[in-house]
Amino acid sequence: MESHFSVPQQQSKIGVLVMFLDTIRQYLKALWPILIVWVFKFDEISKVWLIAGTSFIIAVFAVIAYLKYRNFTFYLDYENEEFIISEGVFNKTKTAIQLHKIQQVNINQSFLQKIIGVYAVDVDTAGSNSKEGEIKAVSHAVALELKARLLDNNRKSAVSEFNAANATETISEVSPFIKIGLLSLVKVGITSNYVKSFLLLLLFFFSVSENIQKVTGRDVIYNENITNYVDDGFWMQAFLIGMSILFLIVLAINLVRIIFKYFDYQIARQKGSLLLSFGLLHTKSTIIKPEKVQIVSVSQNYFQKKLDILQMKIRQATSGEREERKSAIEIPGCNEAERDEILKLLFAKIPAKGMMLKPNFRKLGFAIFLTIGLPLLVFYIFRSYNPTVGVAVNYLVPVYVLFLGLIQYYKFRNNRLFIHNDFIILQHGAWDISNEIIEPKKIQAITTSQLFWHKSIGIGSLTLHTAGGNISFQLGNFELIRQQVNRWLYEIETSDSNWM
Amino acid sequence: MENFTNETIDTTQLPKFEDVHLTKLHASYWKVLLVNIAVLILFLAIGYGFAFTVIEELHPFQMAVFIVLATFIGLVILLTRIGFRKKAFAFRNHDVLYRNGIIATNTMVIPYNRIQHVALHEGIVSRLFGLAKIEIFTAGGNSSDIEIPGIAKEEAENIKQLLMGKIQKEL
Repeated sequence: MESHFSVPQQQSKIGVLVMFLDTIRQYLKALWPILIVWVFKFDEISKVWLIAGTSFIIAVFAVIAYLKYRNFTFYLDYENEEFIISEGVFNKTKTAIQLHKIQQVNINQSFLQKIIGVYAVDVDTAGSNSKEGEIKAVSHAVALELKARLLDNNRKSAVSEFNAANATETISEVSPFIKIGLLSLVKVGITSNYVKSFLLLLLFFFSVSENIQKVTGRDVIYNENITNYVDDGFWMQAFLIGMSILFLIVLAINLVRIIFKYFDYQIARQKGSLLLSFGLLHTKSTIIKPEKVQIVSVSQNYFQKKLDILQMKIRQATSGEREERKSAIEIPGCNEAERDEILKLLFAKIPAKGMMLKPNFRKLGFAIFLTIGLPLLVFYIFRSYNPTVGVAVNYLVPVYVLFLGLIQYYKFRNNRLFIHNDFIILQHGAWDISNEIIEPKKIQAITTSQLFWHKSIGIGSLTLHTAGGNISFQLGNFELIRQQVNRWLYEIETSDSNWM
Repeated sequence: MENFTNETIDTTQLPKFEDVHLTKLHASYWKVLLVNIAVLILFLAIGYGFAFTVIEELHPFQMAVFIVLATFIGLVILLTRIGFRKKAFAFRNHDVLYRNGIIATNTMVIPYNRIQHVALHEGIVSRLFGLAKIEIFTAGGNSSDIEIPGIAKEEAENIKQLLMGKIQKEL
């Protein structure tokens, strides 16, 4: 295994199998409508043809897979400092990636690869939205070695002062300093993402009911049986029971989702970077370099506070693609000590909260107007035209007002901007209170905004743009905001601080 | 190290971005906007004429639709005018400022050492009036890019050269 990858080499032999199954999967993805037709018309086609056809196709796939495997080679060109991948059966492709451009090397394992016992190595570079190089099947030792080589060279050319002791340290020696156990994941699962799980459930429910409706020709939701049962007294009861069942399902889904996604979460430190790996079926591993981190958000709700867990989200600089910017690396379920440890590694010190800015009460007023006033107005206008429709909805109005009123009140109360010399922390959220931490040197652009009728009371809004997303604070003391903006501009413009 | 000092910065003494004198857009740019509105009116008029000559059932609503359309166009002209008057820019030694907005006043500041690249864009109408648009891109995505329209072509070229020079120097 001590190869230096200087001669072109193939993937591990068992890789043929991965290639084979992968090819089948790709074609299945493209051809499944035809397959379905085929299955339904099973009787009309003679069995001999079916078997012959299937075995022919499988044979073709096997040959393609073998050729793919044979023609796939990779090596490191030390002279030109490039990582070279050649692939292709008929159209040969040669991808050369300059080592110093490599941003991330991820070792992943899909379900399939887990069964076979091989690993995939993905190479990411700056300046493109897809992964540049992908090796589908190598053994774990080769994967680790390759990763070390790729990142090592990258580092050597970028930072020359790394000493030999550091450079020879391999990944396999790094022991994780934070492990997130099953118990923490369970805690996270039952305390987070209610809304997300609820929406997923709703989506699932609607798609299922739509499908049933298509098949049976009957409407599931507005079945006559249900409408007959619902009269006023029973209605409340049914509603409450329905809600609690729904809540339990949401909890269960969330729990399963979190455990599948983040099982065996390990965080290791390696040459100043964070090394994460997690996943039950699909093991993902990724590297976070502190200098690339733009926004770190730490969130916790009331239950999580009691259970001493919190969630972290790390946004890195991306190449600006919209869908990519949304994707952040999540660390579920660490405790406060572990949070501080991670923050220290990312920022070199624990972020301090400095001067506090509060939003003006008008923010609360406007939010209530938007989320309660307007919907109620529309509702009553609608009701005045259709007085007989949905009498039961009347019960819901006070619940709605109370619920949204509370949400908006807590949202307002928790909304704070903390400005420290080295950190800007935005606190927001009604139930999940999150703190988004950025460093002033990561700011790309600043927008201040003021409505003309707010000029006389001196309040206005601030948006800080970073390469990992924006941070906005509305209706704060505009004089103070402008002062801080001037300070940040001064700091950014007088130093060559590196934002990436 | 001996020359290193770390004085407290008096934020009140720093140059204030809010006091910077901003340059308004070129007067001809209003004509460009008017041409754009004229095109919109043309399309609406064609649609209107077509609808009322072909579909007879619509005839009783002719006046009402006309009034709605006229109000809409009036509103568009008014808002465009306000937007035009509000837009202004300034290039300082170390950053670029751009102000826009209709009911809100948004001021965006991009330091030169955060600019990724600069582009010059000439629309078909703008070119007739000798105007160009400067586009300034940062790594912060769409929301943190500045587009300054309505700058005389020559001036825009100069600004682009200036910015390119600044970026090179910063690197």
